[in-house]
Amino acid sequence: MEEEKKNPEKSNNADASEAPVTESTPKAAIQTQKAEEAKENEIEEDIQEHIDQEKVEETPPIEIHYTIETASDEIDKFLSTLTNNDDHQTASPLEIPEVVWRFLDLFEEKIPKHDLGVDGKAKMSTPVLAEEDTLLFLDSVDRVTRLVRKMSEMKLPENTSDQTYGVLNNRIGGVQQRAMSFLEDEFRFILDQDIFNLDHKKDTTKENNQETDPKPVAESDQSAEDPIVNTPRVSLEVSSWLNKMAKVMISGGYESECVEIYIIARRNAFDESLNNLGFEKISLDDVQKMHWDTLEREIASWITTFSQCANVYFAGEQKLAEVVFADQPMITSSLFSNLIRGVMIQLLNFAEALAMTKRSAEKLFKVLDMYECLRDNIPALNALVPDQCANELQNEMMVAKIRLGEAAIFMFCDLENSIKSDMAKTTVPGGAVHPLTRYTMNYLKYACEYKNTLEQVFREHWKIERTDSSSSSRQETEGEDQSCDNNNNDNNNASQPSPFAQQLVSVMDLLDQNLDAKSKMYKDVSLSSIFMMNNGRYILQKIKGSVEIHEAMGDTWCRKKSSDLRNYHKTYQRETWGRLLGCLGLDGLMANGKVVKPVLKEKFKSFNSMFDEIHRTQSTWVVSDDQLQSELRVSISSVVIPAYRSFMGRFSQYLDPGRQTEKYIKYQPEDIETYIDELFDGKRKP
Amino acid sequence: MPATDYQGSFLGRISIRRNQVMSMEGNHEQELEDLELFQKHVADRFAELAPPSPSQPSDDIPSDPILSIAWIRKLLDVFLCCDAEFKAILIMGRDPSQISKPPLDRLIPEMLDRDVKALDICNAITNGIEAVRHYQKLAEIAVSALEQRPFGDGQVKRARKALTSLITAMACEDKDGANYTRTWSFGRRGAAAAGNNKSTGQLRSLSWSVSKNWSAAKQIHAMSANLVAPRGTEASGLALPVYIMSTILLFVMWTMVATIPCQERSGLATHFPVPKQLVWAQSIIGLHEKIAEEWKKKEKKGSAGLLEEMQKLDKLGQSLIEFTDSFQFPAEDERAEEVSAHLAELGETCRRMEEGLVPLQVQIREVFHRIVRSRAEFLDVLDLNGKSSALAM
Repeated sequence: MEEEKKNPEKSNNADASEAPVTESTPKAAIQTQKAEEAKENEIEEDIQEHIDQEKVEETPPIEIHYTIETASDEIDKFLSTLTNNDDHQTASPLEIPEVVWRFLDLFEEKIPKHDLGVDGKAKMSTPVLAEEDTLLFLDSVDRVTRLVRKMSEMKLPENTSDQTYGVLNNRIGGVQQRAMSFLEDEFRFILDQDIFNLDHKKDTTKENNQETDPKPVAESDQSAEDPIVNTPRVSLEVSSWLNKMAKVMISGGYESECVEIYIIARRNAFDESLNNLGFEKISLDDVQKMHWDTLEREIASWITTFSQCANVYFAGEQKLAEVVFADQPMITSSLFSNLIRGVMIQLLNFAEALAMTKRSAEKLFKVLDMYECLRDNIPALNALVPDQCANELQNEMMVAKIRLGEAAIFMFCDLENSIKSDMAKTTVPGGAVHPLTRYTMNYLKYACEYKNTLEQVFREHWKIERTDSSSSSRQETEGEDQSCDNNNNDNNNASQPSPFAQQLVSVMDLLDQNLDAKSKMYKDVSLSSIFMMNNGRYILQKIKGSVEIHEAMGDTWCRKKSSDLRNYHKTYQRETWGRLLGCLGLDGLMANGKVVKPVLKEKFKSFNSMFDEIHRTQSTWVVSDDQLQSELRVSISSVVIPAYRSFMGRFSQYLDPGRQTEKYIKYQPEDIETYIDELFDGKRKP
Repeated sequence: MPATDYQGSFLGRISIRRNQVMSMEGNHEQELEDLELFQKHVADRFAELAPPSPSQPSDDIPSDPILSIAWIRKLLDVFLCCDAEFKAILIMGRDPSQISKPPLDRLIPEMLDRDVKALDICNAITNGIEAVRHYQKLAEIAVSALEQRPFGDGQVKRARKALTSLITAMACEDKDGANYTRTWSFGRRGAAAAGNNKSTGQLRSLSWSVSKNWSAAKQIHAMSANLVAPRGTEASGLALPVYIMSTILLFVMWTMVATIPCQERSGLATHFPVPKQLVWAQSIIGLHEKIAEEWKKKEKKGSAGLLEEMQKLDKLGQSLIEFTDSFQFPAEDERAEEVSAHLAELGETCRRMEEGLVPLQVQIREVFHRIVRSRAEFLDVLDLNGKSSALAM
């Protein structure tokens, strides 16, 4: 850097027009500087000595004052002569003009002292070279490369000037190595800038944006709204510099260095970006041990990260490689392939890890989220992956999808286990909706929000279940087992309900069985019926409340369920109110055309006490569904009240008015109605 | 997925036979025979991996030297074969309730737990191979620079820089696991600058880590902690194949950790908890002793990983650095001659790496998937028994 500034100053001081810089001054300055440097850095020492020696020995007397520009012109002329003389090159070796040496000296002076400071902090904030210098520098490196090439093509005469050629070659090689070394640093330095981070926010690059071309590399104008949509946020200008540098390095034979620097920088940038998106690396082992809450958060980050990579990062990355290594499709695709493979496998590992966790029902929805994310992004990714790793990655994605799908099925089927294992011997007080029913139905309702995905999952991955336990159940296993799968597939007729619907029905059946068993634990048949009605009604309401689940279960099933409910209703009516109305039967009441008063009294008495009892117990029963509650009350009233009213109307006259009537006719029909309306409130404890 | 069908015929046989015998109770003899066969196969397969004969030098061209990339690939093949046969014996056509009875109800969950740890190791190794590929590239730079003609200071410096980076990188990797500081810093004076400036020096692992604080050595330790040879009547039952397969898994993972750069392997156990009298384990024990010996040497010397190719890079790299240090233009012919042999060997090593590393990486991934699948198959079987609740946590 310092040199850069010094040189123009000096030339300005000496002369404005022709710049007859005295040979010794800049050189001396540089040499002292070099000496200082050598002190600072021992490794540099021997190199410098070499160079210094060479200069002392080889620099011929100076006749013309060259600047790097004028020397470059001469070199170009010289190189073109060589090209022109190609044919008779072998015959007469050309004399190497003086200017080659001068050019090398001048150019070497231009190679910035990039390794001055040990910590190099000052250098880190800005690139070492100013823009116009960089261009000149790159041209010069290229010139050196051409010199190297020409010199090696030249057939040297056996005897003459062998040593001179050798020394010159050595000198060129040395200068080339220094220049390339510097270029590598510059290349890495630019790549290590924050703007190369995939998630670099726009607002932090204001300075850069101002000087950018109208067309950023990863073009997208909506980046203003979405800060991480534009990746990597590198201006065309910056990346075209990288391209120029890469070109010069590659043509100089430094492809390996260039590519390695690039791949390391990009892998690190990607790593950081994934980290910034919240994607944390977790070992499979730890995923198995993690709490579900924590894992849920990781899943959310995974989904963001995965779709961000699939939709933005990878494409940006590919584009960057294409710009930097333009005209080098092989390099571009191998770099991109290396990167995308590494990142994808890392991302897919998390999916594998999650699919391996304990298969419990509550994980289903997050797993389905991941499944959907994978499924939806696979087409874009398939289009993106380069041929080198296309087969492998496509297979990886497919396998991860299968694993998540299988896991989802297991998790959904875990619901069956929850139902089966709910064998508690206690009954729900008042015959109310059982917690298991609520849990199951809410779960199913939620699950049916994923109905299409679940349908797909069951369609594509179901066969692994329910076949026998051997490895033949797996799609990707040994070829000879394929026949097994085919048989399974053949069974899937279109007319049958979908595998998911089947599974849903089987869950419902299981729930019914379980509830049926639970209802038997109530000693009172009426309460048992109320319990079944409550739960049945709850189930039906939930099903009707969700289009998806209704579709899956089908009308037939719902009709069947409703008719079951009506049966429970009938049973209840019969068990409770049928018996009550039995009190009002006419049997024994008439003898010889006369009403037998004691029997009548007895009938009223037993009616009253039975109704009291019913009211007492059944008002503690619970029917939380308003509609069901009023349906029940209405239907009870419609059975009981008319019967009671007519019985009373017909026989009350046989009781003596006054005390007797009051005693035996405890309830007026209106009272009955009021009391009926107090049933199923669940209010009083028995 | 390639390479899954080489046990096809064997699996076929077993499954057909099982299906025939399944219904009868008297398949005990059959089972004993299968177990015998399994042990024999395990012994045979690992015997093939042993170096040809201790008296002969290992430079023998035809057989792949132990711990070379090609050898590790064979080792992984052996693993895949054994796993296929193991599953055939334990799962195929068997009444699921059999494997949820004691002692298998305890042994299988333990095995599945080991599987998870092995998967992490596979991932760590996959990452480590990225580092090895980087070493290869550095070596290639040195080779191409030193092979260049005309040949002078520039080429020597270029080679020297690459080789220094190579040696430092391998040494650093060795110390810090995969999290080595990137010392590959041409021109900015390598390690000195890389240590403390932000852009080049922050902890930048070339190979990605499995997770923070993850340690291969600890995982290996955990895998071997509850691995106990079955005794008494168990020794002839289904506990035996579970034990055999777990031992194989442990050995394969341990070998990879010792061989290929891998996150945090300091304190890697060299004790192998397998009773010496077991016939099927003889070859494995022999191999283990050999590798453990190498590992102990390595730990003392602090040299590069055990991978044969990496050791070559280390040895040849050192000697070429000596050459570059003493180099003075113009090159003396004798010195150049001397170097060219080393150079050719280094070039040949790079070529082998170029050929082998990517397939190895792919194969490790295949092992990964196989373990996942085998594990899932066991879980399926256990699920059918409704016994899965105790697992996976």
